[in-house]
Amino acid sequence: MQAYCWSDLSVGMNAQFRVRLTAEAIWQFSCLSGDTNPLHLDEQFARAAGFRSQVAFGLLTSSYYSQLVGVHLPGKWTLLHGLVVEFKAPAYSGDELTVFGEIVHMTEAYRRLEVKAQISRDNVVISKATIQAGVREP
Amino acid sequence: MDKNSVIQSLQPIFRDVLDLPELQLTAESNGSNVEEWDSLSHINLVVAIEKRYNIKFALGELQDLKNVGDMADLIIRKTQR
Repeated sequence: MQAYCWSDLSVGMNAQFRVRLTAEAIWQFSCLSGDTNPLHLDEQFARAAGFRSQVAFGLLTSSYYSQLVGVHLPGKWTLLHGLVVEFKAPAYSGDELTVFGEIVHMTEAYRRLEVKAQISRDNVVISKATIQAGVREP
Repeated sequence: MDKNSVIQSLQPIFRDVLDLPELQLTAESNGSNVEEWDSLSHINLVVAIEKRYNIKFALGELQDLKNVGDMADLIIRKTQR
């Protein structure tokens, strides 16, 4: 886990990691959230709706934005203040996702970062996000 | 840039950040008389104002502000430097 302090950070810093989306994660998210919509759990239902298989929960893939700031940039000393996500394309079990984020604004007075981020599969953008995160003193 | 024109330019920012499309901002507006203006939305307002005017506030400058009129005065001082 990274542990950047405020003084270590600057506009333009970025971080990236890869994650494989598993059927188990989709099932676990359904259990945690209580969202049992068949579009996410029933392959036949999803195919009938025009998707190639069950669609991963958008909030499951968006949870990787939490890992982005909580573990990678800035890491240990952060607290998520806000997240605005736009979903661009469906993600599926087995997808290898790349999560990328870059600091675009820093508000010194309140030690608040703004990070522009996106999740993609190869060249397909799954979602884009604007993340606000505070950075505490160690 | 005079104080009233700054307050007018702040109005769409406050309306957007506080999600109050009918808000009429005045020099006396502050966290006590504008609903939705809590500590987290205050940070969001400061971030939006920094971006709008391409300025950076120090925490000490913000702690002395009592209302939107004070904020407008501070913006005028910082943009004239």
